[in-house]
Amino acid sequence: MEAEAAQFLAKGMATLSMFGSAIGQGYLVGKALEAMGRNPDVAGQLFTRMIIGVALVESTAIYALVVFFLV
Amino acid sequence: MDFLKQIGIIERDITPLDPTPVFHIGGFPITDSTLMILLITLIFTAISFFLIRKFTLRPNKTQSFIEMIYEESVALIQQITNSKKHAERIFPIVGAMLIYLVFANLISLIPGLEQITFDGVAVFRSPTADFNTTFGLAFGAVIAINILTIKEKGILAYLGNFFKFKEVYQGFRKGISDGFVACINFFVGILDIIGEIAKIISLALRLFGNMYAGGVLMIILFGALALFVPALWLAMNIFVGVLQAIVFVSLVSAYYMLALGDEEEVSQE
Repeated sequence: MEAEAAQFLAKGMATLSMFGSAIGQGYLVGKALEAMGRNPDVAGQLFTRMIIGVALVESTAIYALVVFFLV
Repeated sequence: MDFLKQIGIIERDITPLDPTPVFHIGGFPITDSTLMILLITLIFTAISFFLIRKFTLRPNKTQSFIEMIYEESVALIQQITNSKKHAERIFPIVGAMLIYLVFANLISLIPGLEQITFDGVAVFRSPTADFNTTFGLAFGAVIAINILTIKEKGILAYLGNFFKFKEVYQGFRKGISDGFVACINFFVGILDIIGEIAKIISLALRLFGNMYAGGVLMIILFGALALFVPALWLAMNIFVGVLQAIVFVSLVSAYYMLALGDEEEVSQE
């Protein structure tokens, strides 16, 4: 295999980790919305925490992206 | 990325990962992102210098606006720290970071600013799209958190977070099984030192990745599609820039609360 081909394959594989991040974010936001629907009074507090959680989950995808540019 | 250019998908060069040196002062390279940081610092110094002098007891419109920004940001930090005392204690650090980051993330959206060149090199570059800037910010933030924690709890209690000799002693006095659990906790405590370093890296990489990827995607979109989709992404970048600044600051304050431990939080409520 040529070196360049291997490089592109590695780039593609690195982006695969975004799959998990997407599932995590969807689950998190869905659960947060569910909780907000059940108890609208705490919606403001939940929203901030949800954003922090989403940012934490997203970091996996961001690491993959950094790997994508580094490979 | 050369293949994208060869087949004509992009017209402009994608910004390189490393910042480009514009000129050197005594062997020390001054890069494009450094210049942008200096520009932002200058703008802020000028704003503070000219505005704060005019502050009076009865606020005018500008002063009310600035006070509103202050109160909104303190309220944001307070939602995370759960106490006004802690929010106001860390606000000088995280508030400055918040305003700086919002500005730094958004300034690259000003059209034409990144097209100014000197000797064929772009003079300005979004400072947060450079890993050195974000790493420096995250490093400073974590150091500040640790210093504040030492101030709050004292040096012995702070070191006790990482080296849990006391818990091991107490555990073995209670019984063998408690002692072994305490031993595991001891090693987990030592791992927390690595956790501190991981915090720096994850904070820095998150901000850098978001801003850099935003820029790269914009270049690709501008080359591949007509104006409409890139315009939407440009509007999205305003949102992402503000959101990432808020996320960075919230995480710093959340790490601060984690470092303080739970007992503080309970006594506040």
